[in-house]
Amino acid sequence: MDQAAQPITTSRVARPVAVAGVAKARRNRQRLIKNIVAHAVLIAFSIAFMVPFYWMLVSSLKTNQQIFTIPIQWLPDPPRWENYSEALNYPNFPFLRFLGNSVFYSVSVTIGTVISCAAVGYGFARLRFPFRDTLFYITIATLMIPFIVTFIPTYILFKNFGLIGSYTPLILPAFLGNAFFIFMMRQFFLGLPNELADAARVDGAGHFRTFWQVMLPLVKPALMVVAVFTFLGTWNDFLGPLIYLSDNKLYPLSLGLYAFRAQRTTEWALMMAASTITTLPLIIIFFFTQRYFLEGIKLTGLKG
Amino acid sequence: MSKTSSVRSSIVSRRRFLKLAGLGGGVVLIGACAAPPAPSPAPAGETAPAPAAQEGAGATAEPIVFWTPGGSAVYCQNFNAISKAFAEEYPGLTVADAQCGAGDQNFLEVLLARVAAGNPPDTTIIWDSPVSLAVRGALEPLDDLMRASRYSQAEAWPPGVLASCQWQGKTYGLPTAAGTYAVYYNEALFESKGISAKREDFPKTWDELRKLSKEFTVWDGDTLKSTGFLPTVVDNVELNIFSALNGGQVFDAANNKFTLDSEQNIEMMQFMLDWLNEEYKGDLNLVNSSANWNFYPDGNGRPPEFQNGTMAMQSSGFWVAGDMYGVEVKPEAQNWNVAQYPVGPSGSGTKSGYWPNWMVIPKGAKRREDAFKYMDYMSAIGILTWFEAIPDMPTNKNVDINKLLPKKVAEMRGEEFARDVLMFFYKQLDVATPMWTSPVQNFANDQITRMIEQVYTKQATPKDALAEAQKACQAELEKVMKA
Amino acid sequence: MAKMVLSKPGGSRSNKLRRNEAIAGFAFVLPWVISLLVFTAYPVLASFYYSFTQYSIVQEPKWVGLGNYTTMFTADPAFKVSVYNSAYYAFLSVPLGLLSSLGLALLLNMRVRFIGGYRTLFYLASLTPPVAGTIIFIIMFQPRGGLINGILGWFGIQGPAWFTDPNWSKPGLILLSLWGVGASSLIFLAGLKDIPAELLEAASIDGANVWQRFWRITIPLLTPVILYNLVTGVIASFQVFTSAMVIGGTTGRPQESLLMYFVHLYRNAFRYFNMGYASALAVVLFLAVLAITLLIFRSATRWVFYEGELKS
Repeated sequence: MDQAAQPITTSRVARPVAVAGVAKARRNRQRLIKNIVAHAVLIAFSIAFMVPFYWMLVSSLKTNQQIFTIPIQWLPDPPRWENYSEALNYPNFPFLRFLGNSVFYSVSVTIGTVISCAAVGYGFARLRFPFRDTLFYITIATLMIPFIVTFIPTYILFKNFGLIGSYTPLILPAFLGNAFFIFMMRQFFLGLPNELADAARVDGAGHFRTFWQVMLPLVKPALMVVAVFTFLGTWNDFLGPLIYLSDNKLYPLSLGLYAFRAQRTTEWALMMAASTITTLPLIIIFFFTQRYFLEGIKLTGLKG
Repeated sequence: MSKTSSVRSSIVSRRRFLKLAGLGGGVVLIGACAAPPAPSPAPAGETAPAPAAQEGAGATAEPIVFWTPGGSAVYCQNFNAISKAFAEEYPGLTVADAQCGAGDQNFLEVLLARVAAGNPPDTTIIWDSPVSLAVRGALEPLDDLMRASRYSQAEAWPPGVLASCQWQGKTYGLPTAAGTYAVYYNEALFESKGISAKREDFPKTWDELRKLSKEFTVWDGDTLKSTGFLPTVVDNVELNIFSALNGGQVFDAANNKFTLDSEQNIEMMQFMLDWLNEEYKGDLNLVNSSANWNFYPDGNGRPPEFQNGTMAMQSSGFWVAGDMYGVEVKPEAQNWNVAQYPVGPSGSGTKSGYWPNWMVIPKGAKRREDAFKYMDYMSAIGILTWFEAIPDMPTNKNVDINKLLPKKVAEMRGEEFARDVLMFFYKQLDVATPMWTSPVQNFANDQITRMIEQVYTKQATPKDALAEAQKACQAELEKVMKA
Repeated sequence: MAKMVLSKPGGSRSNKLRRNEAIAGFAFVLPWVISLLVFTAYPVLASFYYSFTQYSIVQEPKWVGLGNYTTMFTADPAFKVSVYNSAYYAFLSVPLGLLSSLGLALLLNMRVRFIGGYRTLFYLASLTPPVAGTIIFIIMFQPRGGLINGILGWFGIQGPAWFTDPNWSKPGLILLSLWGVGASSLIFLAGLKDIPAELLEAASIDGANVWQRFWRITIPLLTPVILYNLVTGVIASFQVFTSAMVIGGTTGRPQESLLMYFVHLYRNAFRYFNMGYASALAVVLFLAVLAITLLIFRSATRWVFYEGELKS
């Protein structure tokens, strides 16, 4: 590294000051153009990806009839803010209770999934033991079995276990791993160079300490992805709670939203308002966690 | 309730959204992104109903567990009110808060899982035909309970409607409510053409109807401006009705045989297709892209044309009478009326069809007798409260129909008209052709949808399309019967 | 970079180390093994058994041997249609999805201001509840008056009838699926962030241009993540379900063009109460996807670069 850097450093020092100034100005202009192009592209894509959310947001401020007009009415006219108060006060829709259930459910599952998948993924990636690869391929294979056909036997299984009545059984398996994320974590751990683990081992660290103190910090972006996906998936999951909970008081928001579906028609505007409220926490959480992706990893201490 | 036939227009109806919205957040993620975060079938289980919170004094038993596939909060609260009244009438019995499911399809999944695991609800409303479930052993037979009941003897139901619950001499459900079908028409449009708008002067045969329809159909290039009667057969219910109007049958329950490709049915589909060719350029896509020829706003946000006063006639169910006011009804559509179906060339009399709310007891329910008391009560007494909130047509003969009034219609058209319309649809129950009687109902429904699409898009002739559907349905039926 | 020099271990010491590693390895994967044995094994074996039976969920399964499989290949026309539809869908949506999510990830990896805000906006499509998402797609794909055909119209292109034309419904569905690439691009982004900045800087100093750095460093180091997104993408594409059902119903309108394999499987399981047959469909799907996946993994030994691979 150092040798490579040398020549350029030398030449830069030798360069006359005036030339450097012109070059700097040119570089600045180039950077400006690059920035403008970058933002233009980013904005164009942002708009394309925003459409569904924006439509939901606008629909939440319309009447039921306005929602479906063609051409699409992109601005509510006039905005119908009452939808929000009506949605929050809708019968059979105790928003705060559902919200609390959703937070509890999502946070628990996320914690369980992140911990278990990191550990299991690490085991598959960085440790050698008999039948490791067989076990790993079995793990991948489980992803290909349609849930449609396993859903009934699974239900019967849990009923026979006597796991009845609370969220515990919905959450417990998350602490034992999830095939998708085990696979993902394995891929990320496999991408890390060997030198680090070796160095740690020479320092006398055991397998667990190597995992916890050396390797885990290096896959932080991947851990964040697991956390975000799990949280989002659990937040929107309604089939699980629908199947396993029968007390309305335990429902999460995702299931509660169905209160707005009437017999033959749906309270679209109210549903959109409630959906917007349901989605907002996700957006806020995402906005504040995505900065961890910014960091990237620093391989400090990896010097020969 | 999944019973509107709003699929008349193109891609997707709101109702279909409603049903499919219930397919699951986790599932959607599978389609949407590469890595579905939803864990493989989530664990857990719950058998015991929530501890009885509002048990009255003297109540000893656990509450009866009652489910319904879905519905709005109004609908669910309404059931809770009925349950409370029931508990007062039957001391010692209580009903837990209705479990309002999350739509038709998910509801069925959960119900089947519960039956398979041996912890079903005590009684439930279903929107799938009881016969298909009964044939597979998912429902309790009710005949002994019916005989001992206050209101639910076999004679207390219109035979054509009770048939939807019967299989090989046993009864597996009560058709507590059933919306009947008829033809809605716009009186003002009739009068503007100098045609009598009286119900008794409405066409009596398909030929008359077809002739009359031309009076109203206006094309502007490839855009349809207004329609007489659209000769479309929308779904299984309408196929059954039109088949019966032409003296045919879709399924012969007595002989346990499909009769889709009968002479009468081929003639009927051919008649409709010829009519479409003659009056509607033979192109349903043109028809549907011109406007929303229906009573409900469609999935594309287009307002329904009947309420705009550009549709002279259309077939639909009783619920439309109130539901049509869900959108603005233009002055030129204010005066609508209903008439019985005209008869086909091979038919002998008018018929109707219906879309029911069935109540059943799933196999393995712990409280068979108590549950039936609730069903019995619901069908004869509770239905009055039910009707107040959601005007679904009661079928039990112990219900005094004169006590009822469809509120919305009364509000818009006056009490007399509202009562008249109610009585009209109520009497349609008596000419209802038996339907929903096949053990492979959903399979047949999908085959019928496919057949209709093939015929109207001219992928196959009515004869060939019907023959293919017949073959598939009969094979499926025999496969199921073998088990 | 200097290689770490480990003292060559002696025989018994090495054995002990190996044993320790194996024990640690088992300990790490133990929770998952428990999960497989307790929660997964029974349902999977049960549905494999059901595939040889006639089973309606509520009745006892009745053994029919290979009956379901012969029906599938000889007497079920919808099976062939759904295989074709799903293969078509997978063949196009997987590569397109992979490319676009990688492209997006590269965009989002740029060092510009407000990038956090952009990331959030890009991910909004994936955050929006499915119901709202699907409705807006359909409204935008309306042949007459829909936004997509409106935009095509500006360029003088007569847009197709999308979801009412059997030739355009599948392309429409594939386009729709691309809206959800926010999720897989997030995984790519995490992969990009795992590439040590030092490596890229060093290459840059060595005189490698952007293109060379991309092909020589970024892509090779990203291959483990590409493999992940490829495999899960293939699996997911054969399980596409909700969007197809919302648009095409259980008959895959128009004209069975949206009758996806998973829709056919689903309707057999819960609409027709043919859980036995649905299980057989699931087994066939499983074997097909497994074969494709194994091919991918086999090819992966040639193109996937693991910095930390340990051969057992």
